[in-house]
This record gives sequence, structure tokens and C-alpha cells, in this order.
Amino acid sequence: MEEQDQMQSSIEVEELEEQQQREGKRLEEENVVRFLDSLDSYVTLLDSLSSTLRQGWLELASARQSMGASRINGALLDLKFHSAATSLQVTHHDDEILNQPHFTLCKWASSKNGYGDEKLRENKLQTNSDGPQLRHRSQFAEKIPETKGAPLIVDDQVQKERTKSLSMFGTLVSPKLRAAQLSFETALETLVEIANVRLTMLSTSDQVRKELEGTEG
Amino acid sequence: MYGFEALTFNIHAGYLEAIVRGHRAGLLTAADYNNLCQCETLDDIKMHLSATEYGPYLQNEPSPLHTTTIVEKCTLKLVDDYKHMLCQATEPLSTFLEYITYGHMIDNVVLIVTGTLHERDVQELLEKCHPLGMFDSIATLAVAQNMRELYRLVLVDTPLAPYFSECITSEDLDDMNIEIMRNTLYKAYLEDFYRFCQKLGGATAEIMSDLLSFEADRRAVNISINSIGTELTRDDRKKLYSNFGLFYPYGHEELAVCEDIDQVRGVMEKYPPYQSIFSKLSYGESQMLDKAFYEEEVKRLCLAFEQQFHYGVFFAYMRLREQEIRNLMWISECVAQNQKSRVHDSVVFIF
Repeated sequence: MEEQDQMQSSIEVEELEEQQQREGKRLEEENVVRFLDSLDSYVTLLDSLSSTLRQGWLELASARQSMGASRINGALLDLKFHSAATSLQVTHHDDEILNQPHFTLCKWASSKNGYGDEKLRENKLQTNSDGPQLRHRSQFAEKIPETKGAPLIVDDQVQKERTKSLSMFGTLVSPKLRAAQLSFETALETLVEIANVRLTMLSTSDQVRKELEGTEG
Repeated sequence: MYGFEALTFNIHAGYLEAIVRGHRAGLLTAADYNNLCQCETLDDIKMHLSATEYGPYLQNEPSPLHTTTIVEKCTLKLVDDYKHMLCQATEPLSTFLEYITYGHMIDNVVLIVTGTLHERDVQELLEKCHPLGMFDSIATLAVAQNMRELYRLVLVDTPLAPYFSECITSEDLDDMNIEIMRNTLYKAYLEDFYRFCQKLGGATAEIMSDLLSFEADRRAVNISINSIGTELTRDDRKKLYSNFGLFYPYGHEELAVCEDIDQVRGVMEKYPPYQSIFSKLSYGESQMLDKAFYEEEVKRLCLAFEQQFHYGVFFAYMRLREQEIRNLMWISECVAQNQKSRVHDSVVFIF
């Protein structure tokens, strides 16, 4: 009877160990897949950034050709002190799995009129995270922001901020210059996404390496 | 044919007309552009240009070249040609030649004023000015706080003085005021140039009125398109249009209320000479509009050389050289950015 009990318990222990091994292997594979996914996104985003920047530079050259070299040149950039139209916020996750910072771009946030128009660029890879500690409403959200008024007002404000930043080249600028501005704006958003994806990639790479070292040990 | 210019033109302007026709023969050909469009680096462009009239201006430039260097040196060629013609010209041709540079003068004034508003160094701004638009007291522009001071301290002694009467205010200079000042000055300059050519009469009046009317109409379209979505009101927009041209006055009424590019297109298509411009573009497209305008302008400028004994050839040569320099700038940018597939987006072939 005691032997049967001992056999039963050893079988249970073996089964438990097998289950833990399977679980460990599953987690390992999950981390590897997550790493490869983030690597793929990283490479794709780098390619996207490169083509967006190329397009932006060509549009700027095209605007220069259209408006003239005296209207589009570095000597017109404004050296007066002014608040940044766009800022980067760094927040930290509470997640135990991904203990890493998260970058959020706040575009066209003007401190003068308090209409801080903030744009949230969600990192689509971070589906397991609880999200950053600070929540920012996207300017393109369907819900009407409680403190910001209708989306139309927000879009008008963004348009005004864009026009204001281009005003150093004059108030009547070519559509090509506006297109160049949009391209560089997109490139900036892509850069922030790249930063977030890179953090995920490095974090999952560390985990995979630790697991491999643990297995070899 | 118009007024017996054939009898008297060559007495004072025959030599210069021959000179300018010689310069016209030195413009880059289709073969030159084909070679340039196949260049891999800016040094290749320099090598190809060494066999053209730009050669002496680029030969001493060290590598690595920059696109702005190529444009600056090619512009020096235009400036030298112009100065040679100006010093040989007698009245009224000398006044006509001076009129051609007033547009650059306006651009330089606005550059200095805008740069000063942005707290830039005056020397840095002076280096960016177009050489054809320089005048003695241009650096003094940096001390003016408003348009009244601008006029009183500096511009009263320049050829731009008569154009300031419509925009003198005591308001401080800001980006919107400067833009309105730029366009108001340019409008006054074009109208003055137009009146001057009409006074000259004959073939010069006929040919120049066509070229200047096209310029006025193009400006009206560009102002309309560039002011879409800005704070410029309809009345202010209309005030910036010149009081001559094919669009004057009814086309201006319609352009003033346009809210998008398709409405502008609708206005232009009512005028047969401009139907061909928009026929090349699809609906909603504005990117190729500049090229379409430049092509139309080049066509008209080339036609000016088909007649003799008028001053229009001088204006046409200057504008064709400027177009050529724009082409070289675009080709250089495409080569420098490794985007040779886009080189034909903005190159306008002259002959």
C-alpha cells in the first residue's frame, strides 16, 4: 500500500515536471516568436522610414524649385525662442513581463492656448501590455474628447499649428512644401514607433538569451 | 511691320540683339540634358557642364560639390551676361533691362526682412540674396521695424520706392504682413513694367504684353492655390491680383472665391489659352501644375526669338536662362538624392 502511494506520488511528480518543462518550452517559443515578430516590424519600419524621408527630401527640393531658392533656404529658419510644437513623452509600464519604457509622440501641442493636441501612436506589437501609465487620446479617435471639444476643432487647431510652423517660409506656400511637411511628420511618427519596437526587440532578445543560457546550464 | 522698327532699331540695339541671340544659341540642348540626366554624381554633372558655357564658372570648384554651389556658379554666368548687356545698353533699353531685375530685388528685400525677423545674421542673409537683385543699401534693411521705416530708411532711394505707396503702414512686420508686402510689391512692379512696355510700343509692346500677361495670370493662379486653407481673406486675395492679364477682371472674381484646386481648374478651363495646361493634369492634382506652367512659359519665350527688332528677346533670354538653372538645380538634387527616376518630373526642355 505504501509502495503504491509512493509510486503514485512519483508519477504525479514526474507528470508535474513534464508539465513544467512543456510550459517552459512554450514560454521559450513564445519569446522567440515575439522576438522574431519585433525584428520583422523593426526592419519593415526602417524601410518605411527610409522611403518616407526620401520622399520628403524630394518634395522639399520640388518646393524649392517651385517657390525659388530665396524663399526656401536655411537662412530663414527662426532662431527666436519658442516652445516646441512637438514633444516626446517617456512613460513606464507596470507590466511584469515587459518592464520597459514607452515613447509617445505629442504632436502640435501648443502651450500658448492650452489646446495641447496630443496624438497617441499605439504600438501594435504590445498587445499584452496594460498600456502606459498616462493615457493620451488620439486626435483621430471616434469618441469626442471630454476636455478638448469636437474633433473638427482639434483638426483645425492641428492645421493652424502646421501653418504656423511653415510660416517661416511665408504664409502663401506651395502645396509641395505642405506635402514635404506631412512626409517629415510621418517620418517622425515612424521614428518613435521604431524606438518602441526596438525596445521590445531588445527586451525579448534578452529573455531568449537568458532562457538559452539557463537551458545550457 | 509694327512701327518701322526695322529702320532704326539696329542703330542703338542691333549689337546687343546680336549678342543676346548668340547667348541663346549657348543654351543647353536636348543632348546635353540627356547626358546630365544620366550622371551618377555631382562631379559627373560638373564634368558634363565643363563643355558648355558654364564650364569656366565650375572648373575651379573643389569636390565634393553641393547642389547650391552648382546653382550659384551657373547664376554667375547669367549675371555676367546681364551686366555686359546693361553696360552696353542705351535708353530705353537700359531701363528695360533694369526692369527685368526688379523681381529679384523684391525677393531680396523680403529675404532680408524675414531673416531679420527670425533673428538671423545679416551677412548670412546677404550671401543668400540673388546677385541680380542687389543694391547698395540692402544691408540697412535689417534695422527697419515696420514698413514705414523700411521705406523711409532704405527703399526711398531704390527703384522699388514707387511700388511702396500701396503697402506703407506703421504695423510691425510679421509673417503675414511680409507676405502681403511681397505680393503687393510684385503686383505693382508687374503693372509698372507692363505700362512701360506699352509706352515703348511696336513689337516690344505686343510681345511683352503677352509675356507679362501670362506672368500675371500665373501669379493669380499660384496665389489662389497657395492661399487655400490660410487666413488670407477673399478680399485680400483679390487685392494681390494684377490689374491686367487674361483673367482680369472676371477671372479674378472667380479665382478669389475658389476653395480647392478643382475650382481653380474650372476657372482656368474657361480660357482657351490655358485649357492645354490643365489637360495634362488629372483632377485634384496640383504637383505637376508648376511644370505645366513652366512649359507654357518656355514655349512663349522661344516664340519671342522668331521676331526681330524688339526688346522681348532680352527678357526671353533672361527667363530661359533662369529656367535652365532651375533644370540644373532639379537634376543636381535628383542625382544627389539618388532619385534619378524622378528627374523628368520637373525638367522643362527649352529647345
